[in-house]
Amino acid sequence: MNREMQRKANLMLLLFCLPALTVYIIFKLFPAISGFYYSLTNWNGLNPTFDFVGFANYQKMASDSDFWRSLGFTAKYVAAFVVMANVMALILAVAIESRRHLRGALRTIFYMPNMISMVIGGYMWMFIFTKVVYYLADNWHWTFLDHSWTGDPNYSFWSILIVSCWGAVGYLMIIYIAGLQGVPSDLKEASKLDGCNSFQTFWYVVRPLIRPAATICVFWTLNSGFQVFDVIYTLTGGGPGTATQSVAINIYEEAFKGNTRFGYSTAKSMVLFLIVLLVTLVQLSIMQKQEEDL
Amino acid sequence: MKKSFAMLATLVLLAPLTACTNTQSGGETKELNIMMSFPQYMEQWEAYCHKFEDKMLKDENIKVKVNLEMPTSDQYETVLKARLQNTDAPDLYTLHSNNIAEYNTAGYLTDLTSQPLAAKIYDDVKAMVSLDGKVLGVPLESQAWSVLYNKDMFKDAGITALPKTLTDLRNIVTALEAKSYTPFMLAFHDSWVPQLMTAVTLGGLVSGKVTGWVERMNAGTGSYNEVSAIFDAIDLIMAHGTDRAMEEGAEAGSADFANGKAAMYVNGTWSAGTIFETKPNFNLGVLAMPVNDDENCTRINLSVSTTLAVHPNSKNKDLALKFANYVLDDNDSSSLFEACKFNPIATCHHYEAAAYVSEAMEYVEKGRSYKDLVLPSAVTDKQGKLLQEYYQKTVTKEQFITTMDATYKDAIAK
Repeated sequence: MNREMQRKANLMLLLFCLPALTVYIIFKLFPAISGFYYSLTNWNGLNPTFDFVGFANYQKMASDSDFWRSLGFTAKYVAAFVVMANVMALILAVAIESRRHLRGALRTIFYMPNMISMVIGGYMWMFIFTKVVYYLADNWHWTFLDHSWTGDPNYSFWSILIVSCWGAVGYLMIIYIAGLQGVPSDLKEASKLDGCNSFQTFWYVVRPLIRPAATICVFWTLNSGFQVFDVIYTLTGGGPGTATQSVAINIYEEAFKGNTRFGYSTAKSMVLFLIVLLVTLVQLSIMQKQEEDL
Repeated sequence: MKKSFAMLATLVLLAPLTACTNTQSGGETKELNIMMSFPQYMEQWEAYCHKFEDKMLKDENIKVKVNLEMPTSDQYETVLKARLQNTDAPDLYTLHSNNIAEYNTAGYLTDLTSQPLAAKIYDDVKAMVSLDGKVLGVPLESQAWSVLYNKDMFKDAGITALPKTLTDLRNIVTALEAKSYTPFMLAFHDSWVPQLMTAVTLGGLVSGKVTGWVERMNAGTGSYNEVSAIFDAIDLIMAHGTDRAMEEGAEAGSADFANGKAAMYVNGTWSAGTIFETKPNFNLGVLAMPVNDDENCTRINLSVSTTLAVHPNSKNKDLALKFANYVLDDNDSSSLFEACKFNPIATCHHYEAAAYVSEAMEYVEKGRSYKDLVLPSAVTDKQGKLLQEYYQKTVTKEQFITTMDATYKDAIAK
């Protein structure tokens, strides 16, 4: 009888999930699996016929200097983005939570960039970097701004980072705020009574308790950092040359521009997928272990 | 109340679905699906399609419904390729003439040689839409271009003759700078704009001096070392151009050029739209870019971009062919091409082209033009990207040459 009910409950669960599951299978799982198949072919996206080439596409990647350059750039970007975005989001979250007034308004303001598409955000910043900044440099003599913010790879790395943090921080901030609100106030009070200053309270009491939020935020930033596309595409287009090209842009250009090698570019996506999978798995296992240690 | 609201909502949501189903009446209406890549001419082409429908009904008593689709140009090729793969391929579609060989290999082009339209196209234009003597598309947009220049500035600086050699160009640059004009507009944010510098210099050099270079490159025996002389011209442009080039997009460049920020702009006549929008009375001229001191290499680029093709497996192929022929109709075609500001490309076109177009066509008439070099698109892409880096001084001439050689080898290996 009990088993029968269990079976029914499982069936019902499955039925409830079915619409979402169907969409997921058709639009995510099936393309992903067929993508692996295409990565073993030399399809160019146009010809009705193509050949099976085995792992030739994967071998080719070894000598593809542009791909490695974009991978190097992406790694550098991810490292900087994860740290900067999370630190800024946490600072904002703590600052807003410690205020008495205007909390709602400030939350809305900082969350707002997240509500516009990053393509539009990118173009807005494009205007700032190419027009406003030069206006300030020329008319107000703020000469430290007089650099090629989207053209010189040394500076455009920072402009890309600024724009992507601007877009991501609001979202992360909300997660951190939720985490902060989950910290029991009696613990904070107790630490105050024990003579902790604000920083000590934060570091020794609050910080360990918001680790679950940090796990989510780091996971999200890692994941989206590796797939960065829209910000770079609108800001520098990957240029000058391929100096600020991320892996996602490299894949896009391989498929839709130049040689239009769909097979080869899906092979590159597979490699990117494996890298993201590996990195996030390691991150999750480390950070979740820390959570359990508490 | 709630129930009736739910019913209403369901009906509203279902309405667009029913709208998708075919509402053909009687079955004698034939549909013709056309995909084109220039949404900026939507109005003109829609009107022309209506004219075609009327003509078919009047002349041949066929009820035709033309479905004209124009995705934005940056998505166009992706959408087109997806549609060609599937069963809903359009009956007619546009492509760049440089891609004719690729689409022909894939089997998506119809031989139009025996159609009446083929006899009307000018010979030099026809060559650009033909492969092995077969006409495979109807040319729509064609350009004669190389360098745009501001006639008023040239006049003000006392320049009377257009440059025939690179030395002439150097003198012009000096004369312009003496009048404190910036000689060249540099807009390098989009890599296809700096790429145009390679297009015009390589074109002139290869057709005038280093003949057969493209063939050698395609056979895998050539090298960019043979054409390294193009950097004389490119260096001249970069050294005497506007500042902050990497921050300037193609459109912004055209607008700034129209506003008099520089006297010359290596860009095609396709940017004339933006230029005249910015400054309607702009005095625009077109000159051929000199590459060296050999006059024979100073030529104008003649190219066909948008070309109309007929899908060989079209369900209404007869009708599709009729439409293709109607595009070069003796009575109606002229006004269409004039309205879109396209250059005349066939004997059925009798209209006065803009002054700058005629100036460029003078080079063509004197035989001082070359057919736009057809290089693999991975190669042209890379040229533009490397020139951005060359401008930023992160890549040297030597690195440009070795990287381009490798890119070319890779592109032909596919």
